[in-house]
Amino acid sequence: MSTLLQEIESQISGIKTAVGKQNVGVVREIGDGVAKIEGLTGAMLNEMLDFGHGVTGIALNLEETEVGAIILGEYTEIKEGQEVRTTGKLLQVPVGKGLLGRVVNSLGQPIDGKGPVKNETSYPVEKIAPGIIRRRSVSQPVQTGIMPIDAMIPIGRGQRELIIGDRSTGKTTICVDTMISNARLNKAAEAKGDKDYRPLYSIYVAVGQKQSNIARVISVLEQEGALPYTIVVVAAASDSATNQYLAPFAGAAMGEWFMDNGMDALIIYDDLSKHATAYRQVSLVLKRPSGREAYPGDVFYLHSRLLERAARLSEKYGNGSLTALPIIETQLGDVSAYIPTNVISITDGQIYLETDLFYQGIRPAISVGLSVSRVGSAAQVKAMKQVAGRVKLELAQFRELAAFAQFGSDLDAQTQAKLERGKRVVEIFKQPQYKPVLVEVQVVVLWAAQNGHFDNVPVDKVKDCQTKLTDYLLSRKPDLMAKIVKEKALNDALTAEVKAAVIEFKSSYR
Amino acid sequence: MKISKQARRDAKELFRSCTVNELLDENRVRQAVQQVIQRKPRGYVGILSHFQRLVKLDVARRTARVESAVALPELLQANVRANLNRLYGAGLNISFSERPSLIGGMRVQVGSDVYDGSVEARLAGLTEGL
Repeated sequence: MSTLLQEIESQISGIKTAVGKQNVGVVREIGDGVAKIEGLTGAMLNEMLDFGHGVTGIALNLEETEVGAIILGEYTEIKEGQEVRTTGKLLQVPVGKGLLGRVVNSLGQPIDGKGPVKNETSYPVEKIAPGIIRRRSVSQPVQTGIMPIDAMIPIGRGQRELIIGDRSTGKTTICVDTMISNARLNKAAEAKGDKDYRPLYSIYVAVGQKQSNIARVISVLEQEGALPYTIVVVAAASDSATNQYLAPFAGAAMGEWFMDNGMDALIIYDDLSKHATAYRQVSLVLKRPSGREAYPGDVFYLHSRLLERAARLSEKYGNGSLTALPIIETQLGDVSAYIPTNVISITDGQIYLETDLFYQGIRPAISVGLSVSRVGSAAQVKAMKQVAGRVKLELAQFRELAAFAQFGSDLDAQTQAKLERGKRVVEIFKQPQYKPVLVEVQVVVLWAAQNGHFDNVPVDKVKDCQTKLTDYLLSRKPDLMAKIVKEKALNDALTAEVKAAVIEFKSSYR
Repeated sequence: MKISKQARRDAKELFRSCTVNELLDENRVRQAVQQVIQRKPRGYVGILSHFQRLVKLDVARRTARVESAVALPELLQANVRANLNRLYGAGLNISFSERPSLIGGMRVQVGSDVYDGSVEARLAGLTEGL
């Protein structure tokens, strides 16, 4: 018995409790959401640091004798001389479908008072974009429901299309319309039990926006029933520059989860000018050398690495996609400023909104000449391509002729006809906010305009005629609409049906 | 005090000249400080304060602080010494001290590396976990 006890005793004495190695440092300086820490010789770039009391930071500057870190959350309680530890982890945010319908901050914590977020996975905030092997070209459309965009500047799934314009020219409205349009399409496909339809989920990242504006967008999304398909990531103007800098990356991580799991997502960065400003603030406080307009040297890389994360994956890698709609606010229409030119060069096209057009009542105030989509036309629905192929050219010609016609009154019949047609097309492209139009309706309306069915309608009645035609098509010709959606192209038989429908409507229109 | 870039560079150069086989030579450090004070080169106060910081960090890197709740027996001290020298090489200044607030166990700090096996740390970890 005694030998047994001795054996147990010797075994107990042999047990060693493992003590892990930790890397610690001491806060030397703290202020403006940035800390300088002495020690931390083992810290890695972008590693999370534990300041204790639940406060975390991210190591951004690794210098010879100290580490510069940005603080996430409340930094007023951090004191000089306080101990900081490395965690060996990168910053992560919760991802997954549990976030849909929720409003979260840049760390993925809910701020809508609807309880904790249900998620099983987390993704790192900073992630390298998918490489060339995993990608394929854009081939499926994003239906924005905005006629001029779907017709002339089509956006494809996996594309990055910049929305640029002065303040209050309707940049956010275009994005909100797109979210509403896709939510409706998702809902319709769900109701029909359409297995082939690929739902498009939206992520709206508000950076440096006024809280009132964000609240308005959320309430619109809620009213229009788009919130259940949307994640809202908020880093408002009152949030720290650190959170504003991180919010787009957190949103991108949430979008990547959909892409990696074979789904489609749309991410809106509203807006990247304020994001650049927040990053400039963080960089200046970290004493990084400043360059043009006091932005740090890596402000291009900041946006290029963010926007490169939008991609269309090949079939082998799940066929998912992440479409990005970054917004840039210009000052007095100056697109040649530093940040706008950077983002223009990164994206696959831009939608340029003009103040003049906006105040002339042409809303959405899209400038046809300056807006392009470099890859989207490959994704456009064929029927739309058939009817809208010439619209952009005709509108550009109309603008030129309209400017020319101001000087002379005697115009030949052909020029006159072009001007009249142009005026009507401009009217047709006007669209109230939060009222997206279905693509099949757009096809018929554009077909009617192209084939002169609006030519005998007075210009001020065109909008009324278009609205009534839309109502007529949706209520009286649902079969024709379904056929256009199914066939995706206008063949001779379908064109004849469309023609018959438009003529029938016109005969009854007063 | 704002230390100029040139002063930092000079301090670093001075620091490098005080090392022998990558170890800081205390006599050289003392000599260097004396010389700088005598010659008074441009921005010498800045040079010296940055030099002092570099020396402080180097000393911290080469100092092992072993803390325990009660004094450690000779045998255990020798054991700890041997293990630390094995991990960090020779030239390590090892100091032993008592800190009753640790309650039990041992806390070893070498530069910014910490091996904390104290009861206090475990309790703190438990509190954070809850």
